[in-house]
Amino acid sequence: MAPKKVECKKPEPKKPEPKKEAAPAPTVPKPAPLPEPEAPKEPAFNPKAITLEYTADQIEEFKEAFQLFDRTPKGEMKITYAQCGDVMRALGQNPTNADVLKVLGKPRPEEMNSKLVDFEIFLPMLQHISRSKDQGNFEDFVEGLRVFDKEGNGTIMGAELRHVLATLGERMSEDEVDRLMAGQEDTNGCINYSSFVKHILSG
Amino acid sequence: MSVVNEFLFLDNDFKNSGVAQADWSTKKMVWIPSEREGFQSASIKEETGNEVVVELDNGKKVTVSKDEIQKMNPPKYNKVEDMAALTCLNEASVLHNIRERYFSGLIYTYSGLFCVVVNPYKLLPIYSEKITEMYKGKKRHEVPPHIYAVTDNAYRNMLQEREDQSILCTGESGAGKTENTKKVIQYLAVVASSHKGKRHHYSLTGELEKQLLQANPILEAFGNAKTIKNDNSSRFGKFIQINFDNTGYIVGANIETYLLETSWCIRQAKIERSFHIFYYMVTGAKDKMRDELLLEDFSNYRFLVAGHVQVQNQQDDEMFEETLEAMEVLGFNEEERIGMLKVCSTVLQLGNIEFKAEKNQEQASMPDNTAAQKVCHLQGINVTDFTKAILTPRFKVGGELVQKAQTKEQADFAIEALAKAMYDRLFRWILACVNKALDKTKRQGASFLGILDIAGFEIFEDNSFEQLCINYTNEKLQQLFNHTMFILEQEEYKKEGIEWNFIDFGLDLQPCIELIERPNNPPGILALLDEECWFPKATDVSFVEKLTNTHSSHCKFSKPKNLKEKAFFTVQHYAGKVDYNATSWLTKNMDPLNDNVTALLSNSSSAFVQDIWKDVDRVVGLETMAKMAKSDSAAPTASKSKKGMFRTVGQLYKESLGKLMTTLHNTQPNFVRCIIPNHEKRAGKIDAHLVLEQLRCNGVLEGIRICRQGFPNRIVFHEFRQRYEILAARAIPKGFMDGKQASTLMIKHLDSDPNLYRIGLSKIFFRTGVLAQLEEERDLKLTDIIIAFQAQARGFLSRKAFSKKQKQLTAMKVIQKNCAVYLTLKNWQWWRLFTKVKPLLQVTRQDEEMNQKEEELHKAKEIAQKSEAELKEITQKHNQVVEERNQLQAKLQEEAELYAESEEVRIRLEAKKQELEEVLHEIEARLEEEEERSQVFQQEKANLQQQLKVE
Repeated sequence: MAPKKVECKKPEPKKPEPKKEAAPAPTVPKPAPLPEPEAPKEPAFNPKAITLEYTADQIEEFKEAFQLFDRTPKGEMKITYAQCGDVMRALGQNPTNADVLKVLGKPRPEEMNSKLVDFEIFLPMLQHISRSKDQGNFEDFVEGLRVFDKEGNGTIMGAELRHVLATLGERMSEDEVDRLMAGQEDTNGCINYSSFVKHILSG
Repeated sequence: MSVVNEFLFLDNDFKNSGVAQADWSTKKMVWIPSEREGFQSASIKEETGNEVVVELDNGKKVTVSKDEIQKMNPPKYNKVEDMAALTCLNEASVLHNIRERYFSGLIYTYSGLFCVVVNPYKLLPIYSEKITEMYKGKKRHEVPPHIYAVTDNAYRNMLQEREDQSILCTGESGAGKTENTKKVIQYLAVVASSHKGKRHHYSLTGELEKQLLQANPILEAFGNAKTIKNDNSSRFGKFIQINFDNTGYIVGANIETYLLETSWCIRQAKIERSFHIFYYMVTGAKDKMRDELLLEDFSNYRFLVAGHVQVQNQQDDEMFEETLEAMEVLGFNEEERIGMLKVCSTVLQLGNIEFKAEKNQEQASMPDNTAAQKVCHLQGINVTDFTKAILTPRFKVGGELVQKAQTKEQADFAIEALAKAMYDRLFRWILACVNKALDKTKRQGASFLGILDIAGFEIFEDNSFEQLCINYTNEKLQQLFNHTMFILEQEEYKKEGIEWNFIDFGLDLQPCIELIERPNNPPGILALLDEECWFPKATDVSFVEKLTNTHSSHCKFSKPKNLKEKAFFTVQHYAGKVDYNATSWLTKNMDPLNDNVTALLSNSSSAFVQDIWKDVDRVVGLETMAKMAKSDSAAPTASKSKKGMFRTVGQLYKESLGKLMTTLHNTQPNFVRCIIPNHEKRAGKIDAHLVLEQLRCNGVLEGIRICRQGFPNRIVFHEFRQRYEILAARAIPKGFMDGKQASTLMIKHLDSDPNLYRIGLSKIFFRTGVLAQLEEERDLKLTDIIIAFQAQARGFLSRKAFSKKQKQLTAMKVIQKNCAVYLTLKNWQWWRLFTKVKPLLQVTRQDEEMNQKEEELHKAKEIAQKSEAELKEITQKHNQVVEERNQLQAKLQEEAELYAESEEVRIRLEAKKQELEEVLHEIEARLEEEEERSQVFQQEKANLQQQLKVE
């Protein structure tokens, strides 16, 4: 008789917290302090001024994710500056590169891969990022991409979109664009940008 | 075709390049003046008051004054086909655009209402039949800029609006006026030929079209020369008028020429040549013809200063043949052709006549008259008479004929004047013949298209009478241009129904034109010159003095301050200040000739020569010259000069120009501005300052400036919406909306100053610069959105990567667990046994399976047999039933027959029964009768019995 095989447990991808929950939630058990008035943009980010509003469960979950990014040989629970954005994004935020740099205190480019952040410092950063609203919504994005819609038929050339993403704004790398657009182009190389935006916003 | 395309179409990739766009918006790019390139790009680093610190491409920082910088256009306007679309209109941007296009092989560029073309100095494959086809009937914006597009537009306009058209090519020598004029004619000869069916055989184009095309080589042979700037420089202006009938076919043509520079016959600079025909003739005429024309070697001719100068890529003897062929096409006969060449030979020969001053210095003599003999032989006149006419001409003084010996200078002047006049008359005679050939059709032309090929504005170091005439012409053409620009522009506003108040552009050139051409009160330059010509003892200096006195207060007139020469004056033309040197203007204006000689020529034994000199009374003769020299003779007034038999050069020119302007004013003009890129005849090189100079003179910038006053940027509604909707996204409700309405809402939403735009019927109009601002805002907005979208996209990618990472982690855990289990299992005895036994188990199981299968087979067989038996049985039964059925059928048949038989019997019986019944009836009737009878008898019997009884 064959021995029982070990069941492959269905992987439970720790779905990142939906944005809404990541935002200051009123359901936090401990009395939530009043949300701080939106700080003027100018002053530099001060992690000490941030009040954490996360539940213990949430923090545990964040920690797990954080750990996953830890590349230090001994597992010191530290990540590089360059990874911060990725972790925040993995945890459901959508900061711009500028936002991330700001909470990191505007480091020099060479510091990005050399300087490290531990979890305790990371948390207030995440908290700060999660408080700022996402820039732009579905309509805005569709509107923005419409200007590249030469035919006015709801599609744009994949090549054009690639070009836009890779050369305008906070330029994305070739590889990023490739991953983003995999399987989005139709046989004519066109992309229905409304569904594309929907696709991106759903992930 | 693809090779061709790169010379016509713009590669669109660059236009939309995001990199360039981003660069432009972040770096604040501007143009600053540059010594070498005219202007160079730089980016603003810092602004302080009136000073700006800019960084050059090479990283150097320079401080310039704010006034010196010129705005740069967004990169989307790079190499734009129509420069009126540029949002920042300035010299730097126009130069940059023309230069960039030129470097890409795009020589044609529109500049608002007109077309700018830069001489490519190489053959471009953009004039082929295929290209001609491509442009046929296309609208201007549908095809890349091209002289063909200009021509086609003019042609279609002529047909549609029944309005005469003109195409005006202007520009410096070597800018390509003549070449473009030729292309216009070539295009029309194909497109408007009445011989459509045979068009693919080029040799079979209609005779008229052929003549029209062949007229040009003749005019070029006689009217063009090689100059420093230009190997084939037209030394005259021309207006070619092509007549069309109602259906648009060519029915005839007429050529008018202006100011042939005959001085080229006499002298040229070292590497220059006289008119082509002399070189063609001397190289090409062979044998008998050479003898007949009394031709000599190049080195023998004094008038061909530099001998046989060669023109690159041109064989003079071949050209001679071609010219003769062209003459044949245009109907010049053998005699005429020889006559023409004889005149040419004479002109050359005249240069070889030498005079010597006699000892007393007063009188000239001709020691060797070989050259004179040749001249006289060629012209059919008597050599003694000729010599006398030159050395001791007779003229009238107070009613008496007097002989006066001439000095060497006078004789030399007379010979040169004669050579020039002779050549000029020959040229005009040829032109008349050409026109006769081109105008022989009887059909009436319905409308015409005129092509003007005339020298552009000229500012030389030394500017003489010719320059004044040329500049005067350009002043008039520019006036026409301003007028048109204005009218057309306003018409567009009207057509689009936008409110528009008349604006005086203040670009009226009339004052300057008046200064030159005004006949009196006060007389203009030309009138004063004429007047001075009749004034005794007048000199060029006295002319200038008079001029200064008359016009000292004129805003366009001044005396150069730093020049000591008295014969100088300055005119402020629209294209710049020009200092004119009035030296020998009196002579130039009168163009005097020895009338003794002209009289001889008009009585020549050669009919051809006679024909050329038939209107000698127009000549300003020695008589008048003599009068001028004599102080005691009465001074003819200006009014008298007009009544005189002859006219001055200035008058004639003014008159023909006036006629030309009247013609042009009645046409719809199309302007082509030709630009010479460098003076080295080199392809692909742009001398920025040279081009800028021409842009200024040609009115390109002027025209653009006019454009700026109006609403030069216009976008059709739908395009406006597509491009800028992003700026006013909330302004337009979802769903369909009419373009105009949408644009109106958008512009309102954008909160623009209403003075900066107008909304027409199909387009929205903007003042210059407004669009650039919109473009900038659009860029910023777009960048914001793109950045936000990129943030979303990065989030999307990170989460995807993260979830993948998590899955990987889980998978890894599963694998690890399995591995651990396996490792423990591996050493468990039972497991090891199992792994050994397992393959064996496999074998026994095979037999089992076989048996099973066999059993199955067996069962299946049984079932099959059973079914077969059943089938048999059923078939049998079936047969039985069928048989029974047949039997029953037979029985039925029998029965039916029986039935029929009995039926027959029944019918027969019935008939019998009827018969019997009838019999029965009969018998019954009889019975009744009998009964009645018996009753009667009984009655009778009773009666009788009664009687009996009684009785």
